[in-house]
Amino acid sequence: MGKMQAIFKNVKGDRLIWAIVTLLAILSFLPVYSAASNLAYKGGTGNTFAFFIKHFMHLFLGFVIMYGVHKIPYRYFRGLSLVMIPIVLVLLGLTMMQGTTIQGANASRWIRIPIVGMSFQTSTLAAVVIMVYVARYMSKVKDKVIAFKESILPLWMPVFLVLALILPSNFSTAAIIFLMVLILVFLGGYPIRYLGVILGSGLVCLVLFVMIAKLTTGPLNVKVVTWENRIKNYSNNEDTEADYQIEKAKIAIASGEIWGMGPGKSRQKNFLPQSSSDFIFAIVIEEYGLLGGFLIMILYMWLLFRIVIVAQKSDTIFGKLLVLGVGLPIVFQALINMAVAVELFPVTGQTLPLISSGGTSIWMTCLALGIILSVSAKRDEIKEQEINEDDPLEVLSETI
Amino acid sequence: MAVNEKGILNRLYFVAGCMFIFGIAVVFKLLSIQFLQGDKYRALASERVVEDVVIPANRGNVYSINGNLLATSIPKYDIRLDALTPSNNRFEKYIKPLCDSLSKYSGKSSSQLEKQIRRARAHKNRYFLLARDIGYSDYIRLRNFPLLELGAFKGGLIVEQTTKREHPMGGIAQRTIGYERVDEDGNITRPGIDGAFGIRYLRGVDGQRKKQQIGKGQWKPLNDANEIEPKDGYDVYTTIDVNIQDIAHHSLLKQLELYKAEHGSVVVMEVKTGEVRAISNLGRTRSGKYYEKLNYAVGESHEPGSTFKVIAFMAALEDKVIDTSTVVDTGNGRKRFYGRDINDSHWGGYGEISAAKALEVSSNIGLATIIDEHYSANPEKFLSKIKQWKLNKPLGVSIIGEGEPDIPEPGKKNWSRNALPSMAYGYNLELTPLQTLAFYNAIANNGELVKPRFLKAVKEFDKEIESFDKKVIVEKICTDETLNKIKEVLKNIVVRGTGKKLYSETFSMAGKTGTARTEYWMKDWKDNPRYVSSFAGYFPVENPKYSCIVVIHKPSTKVGFYGADVSGPVFKRVAQKIFTDTPLVNEIKSLNVKVESVEKEYDKFYEMSEIYKTIMPNLIGMPAMDAVVLLENMLVDVKVELDGTGIVKEQSVNKNVKLKKNQIVVLKAS
Repeated sequence: MGKMQAIFKNVKGDRLIWAIVTLLAILSFLPVYSAASNLAYKGGTGNTFAFFIKHFMHLFLGFVIMYGVHKIPYRYFRGLSLVMIPIVLVLLGLTMMQGTTIQGANASRWIRIPIVGMSFQTSTLAAVVIMVYVARYMSKVKDKVIAFKESILPLWMPVFLVLALILPSNFSTAAIIFLMVLILVFLGGYPIRYLGVILGSGLVCLVLFVMIAKLTTGPLNVKVVTWENRIKNYSNNEDTEADYQIEKAKIAIASGEIWGMGPGKSRQKNFLPQSSSDFIFAIVIEEYGLLGGFLIMILYMWLLFRIVIVAQKSDTIFGKLLVLGVGLPIVFQALINMAVAVELFPVTGQTLPLISSGGTSIWMTCLALGIILSVSAKRDEIKEQEINEDDPLEVLSETI
Repeated sequence: MAVNEKGILNRLYFVAGCMFIFGIAVVFKLLSIQFLQGDKYRALASERVVEDVVIPANRGNVYSINGNLLATSIPKYDIRLDALTPSNNRFEKYIKPLCDSLSKYSGKSSSQLEKQIRRARAHKNRYFLLARDIGYSDYIRLRNFPLLELGAFKGGLIVEQTTKREHPMGGIAQRTIGYERVDEDGNITRPGIDGAFGIRYLRGVDGQRKKQQIGKGQWKPLNDANEIEPKDGYDVYTTIDVNIQDIAHHSLLKQLELYKAEHGSVVVMEVKTGEVRAISNLGRTRSGKYYEKLNYAVGESHEPGSTFKVIAFMAALEDKVIDTSTVVDTGNGRKRFYGRDINDSHWGGYGEISAAKALEVSSNIGLATIIDEHYSANPEKFLSKIKQWKLNKPLGVSIIGEGEPDIPEPGKKNWSRNALPSMAYGYNLELTPLQTLAFYNAIANNGELVKPRFLKAVKEFDKEIESFDKKVIVEKICTDETLNKIKEVLKNIVVRGTGKKLYSETFSMAGKTGTARTEYWMKDWKDNPRYVSSFAGYFPVENPKYSCIVVIHKPSTKVGFYGADVSGPVFKRVAQKIFTDTPLVNEIKSLNVKVESVEKEYDKFYEMSEIYKTIMPNLIGMPAMDAVVLLENMLVDVKVELDGTGIVKEQSVNKNVKLKKNQIVVLKAS
């Protein structure tokens, strides 16, 4: 008990964020457990409890990450992001190389961690790292008048490199990261006229990529054709796999009504291919009704509110931008996921942070939350302490 | 100055506001799905996702009386490959070993198979047939082939099980053993015993299990146990004796082939009980082969011809209007009845003969005269006998589709003045072979008419559920006096009448031949005469054990057509073989019987072979073959000449003499 008390005593930062996150994590168990029953049956073992344990382990490790990260003074993240950029680039490159193909398409989003034997979605880590990096850059130039040319190399080159490596395998993630970066630099005071240029060049790059890909005959071509079809079908209302998923999701939402069908009673979980991750929101509503859906929505909105509060109260520009850079994407991703389930947005394959099963998503969300908590924990710290000449990472950060 | 805190916060409020609006939009969409489109989607949801899946009960087996399997259900498997399911890695890794294994199994070339499977994958064939209708052991073998052993989700294995009804005895009695078959339109055909007792005994009760759909074409059980446990069908033990059935089948087949007949049947019945021991029905296919086409013996009513004369004769005897010695004038072999000629097959006729003789030689005129003379004034009297013997009614056997007898009556369409004399020799009326046999059986059974039966017992494993005993239709068809007289005639028919070709000194049979014209109303009959040859009777005469009828339709007249020639031999073969071939016990206990004298001789031989290696032993009194073997196995090579067989009497070299190489030893044996 003493140890537990010591840990709780050491829990710093915004208590409400802790509470919201814990609540979301607890709430995630039932729908994930229910939705996994189908996977367990199809997988042949029939052991649904294994999925329960797995989800628990994911969340437990997530909380360990969150606790550990929030103990780190957030100023260290400046330098860390700098070190991490090349590492992330290498990891993304590796992921792309080892690509496994699913139905002829290059779907290399995952990398196997050699010793642990677990799969890891590198793009999710890259998203957090690039946001911290951008926050660092924007806070560094806070006192200067930003010249477009000056920002190309230190800001946009890393961003575009990361995006270029994610794009072939995961268009939606690349697009969301790009959007988040744009929002963050906007928040950081990047001139809006330049943003237009960047957005334009981003689109040009995309078109170029598609055109080149279509000239090839390999898996890239297949991938691009898949995108085209998805976009076409979203506007055409043709019957596709995505339509099938959406229809099932809507059936799930409609059958949940106000009070829901009850825990574990979902029927559509049997038909929704990604019922425990991409379409978990639909399953939540089917089992727990509008009430359950509203609760989840309120929790995320509340999280958004707390993130804004933490950003407000943070004393440094870097702190503010850091919190927003890693915090807004969590809420945004949640909104995207829910929007997909209610057919407000085309099917993208984004998870519902903290609720969906899947290790990478949970861990990276916890990493981001840890960073936010770290900022909120340090807000009483004296500004001057931010720059510590003795810290080698800080020196590195300042010199570049 | 790019940024200050206030600037960041203002912009943040804008962004957060946008996100909040996005959230509100999601909620709105959510509400619209639930309330505006709700009914539509809830209707889609209520499409059945839970179904009661039928678990078919195992159909019971059909056994012969000796416990041999006649019909049983066997699981059969179709193995298919979902060529799209395996990942590229797995597919490439296992395709060659899989095709090698398949090649060994099917004999097709491995490269050919690989080509086909690759093509199936390229064409996204998710239902590629690998093997059809294979048995359980083959299924287990295939399931363990490379790739397939990975199962449905990784290897793409698709297994479909069906249950097939099999007849382990092959084509023998197939039509009587029967089956239950549902065609594409849902019509059910139920021939034979399997068909007749399918609903009541064999089928069992299907079980039920609730299953929930978990995706396209996949169902998972909702509960651990079945909602309704399937109850397997009962086993049915028939009265068929496979040994007798085998004899009947092959005797009939041989004769049908010899006479190139259109079809024929033979029924063997146990006299005392009416249990049918064998029933064979063979029809000719276009290629000239015979197989169990229809159950003629049960289902085919036809003009019986001369076998009916016995019945007419008995009616007259029982009514005491004639006696066996009553003289009948058969004339010169042709007599006119009411403007129509009746002929005898014997050219020139028989003149004045006794009534018994008329039946022995199967005189149409004789029988027609007797019946017409005594019954034409009162045909009902004759018909009342027929009715009393229930020949106007079907027997009511369990097999579906029994033929209706057709007996003419005054006032009916087929009645005329000629009807009565025609009936006397078996025309103008119709009976099935089984009905005729039942009557002959009654003669053999001292007048007790019993119903032919196919069912002995119904069992659930070894527990008897129901058993069946003989069913008496008529307690006594006639007086013992009549019975004795008709039995004497039937015996004499084989001894000296139309059936004398069948006579055997060693084995007694009684019966009546029949050669009926058929399709004589057709125009081409004169050019292509067609007959039904039959023989009905029982054996042995003294204490009848079995009754039997053989009916062969349309034998080739180039080979022969008389009942005695065509059907008689089948009857004789069946009768003789039943009493000579049917083993009294079904298995021979052991061939390893130790005979003391043999044992003793072997011991002696062994003993001597151990002692005598180079010195001549005393072989006198030893079996000659043992002696030769002993000498030839000595360490010295000697040449043995044996004169005679049996026990050694003399040996050319005296005992205890040392043998030389290549020495000749002459043994004389008795």
